[in-house]
Amino acid sequence: MDDGFETVALAGNPNAGKTTLFNALTGSTAKVGNYAGVTVEVKTGQTFTPHGRKLEVVDLPGCYSLEGGSPDQQVARRALLGEIEGKPRPDLAICVVDASNLERHLILAMEIMETGIPVILALNMVDLAEKSGLRLDPQLISEELGIPVVPMQANTGKGVVELKQAIRHPLPPAAETPWTKEEEPAKARRSVAYGICEIAARRPTAHTGTVSDRLDAFLLHPILGWVFLIAIMLAVFWSIFSWAAIPMGWIESGQGWLEGLVEDSMAEGDLRDLITGGIIGGVGSVVVFLPQILMLFFFIGLLESSGYMARAAYIMDGLMSKVGLSGKAFLPLLSSFACAIPGVMATRTIDSAKERLVTIFVAPWMSCSARLPVYLLLVPMLLGGSEGGLTQALVLTGIYVLGTLTAFIAAKILRRRLGPDEVTHHFILELPPYRAPQWGYIFRHVADRGWAFVRKAGTVILGLMILLWAAQTYPKSDSEDPGERLNHSIVGRISNIIEPVVRPMGFDGRTGTAILTSFAAREVFVGSMAQLFQAEESDDEDETVSNLRSTLATQTWSDGSRMFTPLTVISLLIFYIYALQCLPTSAVVAREAGSWKWAIGQFFFMTFFAAAASLAVYQAGSVLGF
Amino acid sequence: MLGFYQLYWMSLAVAPFSTNENQLFLVATRSQLPELLHVMPQALAQDLETDSLQSLAQATVGCDFHIKMLEGPACDQLRRLGFCETMQVRKLANGRNMICTVCGTRMALSRDLAAQVKVSPVPA
Repeated sequence: MDDGFETVALAGNPNAGKTTLFNALTGSTAKVGNYAGVTVEVKTGQTFTPHGRKLEVVDLPGCYSLEGGSPDQQVARRALLGEIEGKPRPDLAICVVDASNLERHLILAMEIMETGIPVILALNMVDLAEKSGLRLDPQLISEELGIPVVPMQANTGKGVVELKQAIRHPLPPAAETPWTKEEEPAKARRSVAYGICEIAARRPTAHTGTVSDRLDAFLLHPILGWVFLIAIMLAVFWSIFSWAAIPMGWIESGQGWLEGLVEDSMAEGDLRDLITGGIIGGVGSVVVFLPQILMLFFFIGLLESSGYMARAAYIMDGLMSKVGLSGKAFLPLLSSFACAIPGVMATRTIDSAKERLVTIFVAPWMSCSARLPVYLLLVPMLLGGSEGGLTQALVLTGIYVLGTLTAFIAAKILRRRLGPDEVTHHFILELPPYRAPQWGYIFRHVADRGWAFVRKAGTVILGLMILLWAAQTYPKSDSEDPGERLNHSIVGRISNIIEPVVRPMGFDGRTGTAILTSFAAREVFVGSMAQLFQAEESDDEDETVSNLRSTLATQTWSDGSRMFTPLTVISLLIFYIYALQCLPTSAVVAREAGSWKWAIGQFFFMTFFAAAASLAVYQAGSVLGF
Repeated sequence: MLGFYQLYWMSLAVAPFSTNENQLFLVATRSQLPELLHVMPQALAQDLETDSLQSLAQATVGCDFHIKMLEGPACDQLRRLGFCETMQVRKLANGRNMICTVCGTRMALSRDLAAQVKVSPVPA
């Protein structure tokens, strides 16, 4: 007991609907998905019994058994046994079982009963089970096991009230487990579970082809499966870059209107310059990419919710095995396209410790959503300023493929160096049935991520923009020439120091400074470039990003040659594909790898690799006359 | 799959253990196997049954099978995932990783794992 109220743990097999029930009980918006391993750490929330008694609800990662398993599954076992520091042993366990798979799920429920914790069985997804022809008798299951059984549909909230009534105070006592007295308890447990299923969850004798079977015939076909996978990925990227143009236009218009409003209502001076150039211009140039980031999260949520993610992992297993990883590593890597942090955490579902470490190491090379603003600024510069369309989608897909391929090559080298596993791990993956996406959760998840991005823009990015504005404004020079004023400022001085270092990569000191500021957060690069290069340009900011591009296109070196040639842009892109510029990711890597050594090593390796790759591309391109 | 001659030689090996001459089968078909196993010493019967099994990796796609035994280092892992003796499994696809349905769940598992699951066809 903690703080005077009881703890209720939600346990069960992966993809049984624990987190959906957790959200229904606590009103939380924890992430749910239609594949095994969405929850990898313990989450807590609070709920009330029908009599108003407060309970702490703990959502555990799914596990197939209380013995062995991957790190996320071990967390569940340790939590149920009260072995996690600072977390009390639960007073009650709600074992969430998928009614369609009782044979398998009941065994875990019985293992949990053996721990001596009172157990309530939440018979979830009864609608789907009955639709598949299963004849369920919850009363009989309850009598056979000696525990309360509540049939329910957590996604629609059906049965939640009945479940709350079942956990009313005093909590039910721990049930007896007579099978543990047998000579072979594991065998006896299975025998009891199958016996219960034979009488209380009878399956139709004939196997009937389901919609999932028919869809899988195409989506998991050895050739067609690949065609669908590539087509789905291309469609996702094309949609992101084409459809997002409309809301981006609205944001740009809003930004222009706001700037105009400030300029009209304030007298000329440093404060107005800070608000228009520093805050609205700097932060706005990052916020403008919000629609694309939201769409990326939306599509990933759609794939997760529909059940396609596990299929993608199945298809990718053959390719992943060539680099010493399994299909299971594909899910964390795909999640990393949205953000490396959940991607790194999702590696907990990987059984092999060495494979897990390698996946953590290469995950930041999957281009995350924070890189999108940088790509979207630079890619149209390669295509002569044209935005949207198939060419841009193809170039962007190429950028993502380059990061992924490099990650695979690095994984192969690293996997070989780490040597084989002590225990062989085989590929085994549950392929959940296809389901209609849970729109409510998808939109809530997208809204959460959007809010996180806006919050970051309003804190870290805003702070950096103000600092940058101050650094490029002070100390002031008497000169009227904007270039000379910038040279005299702190930024100008820093740029002069940085320039010799970044010049061989094709960048001037200001670009080098923008790169330096983006080590706090990658997205800052766009805002920094907007500030650093607009200092000597016109103040027309109706269309921030396209204006920044045209500003960059007119930049020249002292000898009059173009500064941002296609080669320079490619060199910049290469740097951003490979550099690890995200402190929160390093912190999560340190926690998941169990050592800061890995996180620091990863940071320096990726930074130097990015610089070396950028240098090599620029120098090779220059020699070849590009 | 047991061939005619394999069964013939096995039945000859069983012959000395049989106490009743009427129960001696010189040639046995698959349908006669349970009766044959009934009269044999247990160890030999088990051997014979094991030999008559095929692995899930070898099994035909689209057919239903009973899991008869698990043999190999990943037995515990397989049992945890529902591949237990007596369970019915349907093989849905072959390949580097095969797909099958067990306990109403569709699972993808590697050939190495599938080779450790010994099955016999469900009688039509």
